[in-house]
Amino acid sequence: MIYLDSAATTVQKPPGVAAAVSRAIRTMATPGRGGHQAAHLAAETAFRCRQEAAALFHVEDPEQVVFTFNATHGLNIAIRSLIKPGGRVLISGFEHNAVTRPLAALGAEIRTAAGPLFQPDRFLEELDSALVHWTPDAVICTHVSNVFGYVLPMDQVAGRCGARGIPLIVDASQSAGTLPVDLQGWGAAFVAMPGHKGLFGPQGTGLLLCSGESQPLLYGGTGSQSLLQEMPEFLPDRLEAGTQNIAGIAGLLEGLHYVRRTGTSRILARERKLMRRLVGALSSVPDAEIFAAASEQDQTGVLSLRLRGMDCETAGDQLARRHIAVRTGLHCAPLAHGSAGTLQSGTIRLSLSPFNTEQEIDLAVRAVSALQ
Amino acid sequence: MVYYLIICRSLTYAQKTAAALERAAITAHIMRSPKSIAGEGCSHAVKISQRRLADALVVLRRVGLPPSRVYITQGDGSYKEVELF
Repeated sequence: MIYLDSAATTVQKPPGVAAAVSRAIRTMATPGRGGHQAAHLAAETAFRCRQEAAALFHVEDPEQVVFTFNATHGLNIAIRSLIKPGGRVLISGFEHNAVTRPLAALGAEIRTAAGPLFQPDRFLEELDSALVHWTPDAVICTHVSNVFGYVLPMDQVAGRCGARGIPLIVDASQSAGTLPVDLQGWGAAFVAMPGHKGLFGPQGTGLLLCSGESQPLLYGGTGSQSLLQEMPEFLPDRLEAGTQNIAGIAGLLEGLHYVRRTGTSRILARERKLMRRLVGALSSVPDAEIFAAASEQDQTGVLSLRLRGMDCETAGDQLARRHIAVRTGLHCAPLAHGSAGTLQSGTIRLSLSPFNTEQEIDLAVRAVSALQ
Repeated sequence: MVYYLIICRSLTYAQKTAAALERAAITAHIMRSPKSIAGEGCSHAVKISQRRLADALVVLRRVGLPPSRVYITQGDGSYKEVELF
């Protein structure tokens, strides 16, 4: 199989990840729930994972690193912490349903800043316009569009939020492990990310980096202040009710080690090299409409395309039969498709990882060409 | 053997405390707080030897992790809170 669906889940992981998961299942219990060796081993693993994430994402204190089940879980916590029912929120036009559905459930007043695809200056103009006579309770912005790989200008977004004192929630689902993610530098209230994409952890893992006040989404045991019926005020316990996915966390720790050892700049450079090859080759496919940025800086290793005269789901099925794994449809992000004008058709998404090879890119493009 | 227990609000806080002490070459073990001194239910404690309390307090204040409660073991197995200045 040629796997080009890493924006959903990375399947090719560093070898240490599976070994760490296996070891954890065999040897670890739950952090803080006992004084025995198996609990200590789990506690040590969880703490090292927090430390590793804190170092990679510029988090001052490992206590600010909260384990979640995925990015959606983290975003729900962040949204519920900052936005009251009926509250106001400004979001980018490239958000995932992980953002828009919780906001809809809250009945929030939502305004959107989009601008054309791959035009960050126009996006910032729309953001500025929205903020002229209107102050939202929070701004929520994805760092990278999961559909198009479009890199939103997060430093500038953060600067604008900071200047106006508006809390910022960043969805780093597509950037963590690939681009610099900087909780402190951005002054963000929350940064949410999954463990199973660019951090190479297993499914069912995620991280929420917190610098603001937070409200629990789940209530239950934390192994601390057990006499109280309220959740602890302090992190990470406040947001980590119940038994944690320690086997997943052990795998995530190995993934974080890999990312730190390799460096996000090297990972990004590798993906962009493959991306250049992919875009170059697809450009010669007559009926392919490719959504590629004019400037390489505005896109990561995620590429959407449409084939004239062919439904994207049909194309995805045919590619799957040729053992090419891609993602098709709306990618749980109808807002992003609406902003890019692809809502009716959806797109075929090819997303890369540093483990892909040039040969795989060539074979995938050949398969796309054969669909014509 | 006489030792001190630094009571911490959470496991993660105890891990931060122990890590700071270990970096300063002060041996520190994390354990669940004895029930009689756990405070509001379960908590964790960092155990250090009798000889190292003064050094430990200096280190923890320097790194911004000042302990809120410290106990010393008594001959009868009970614990007595230490007044911190």
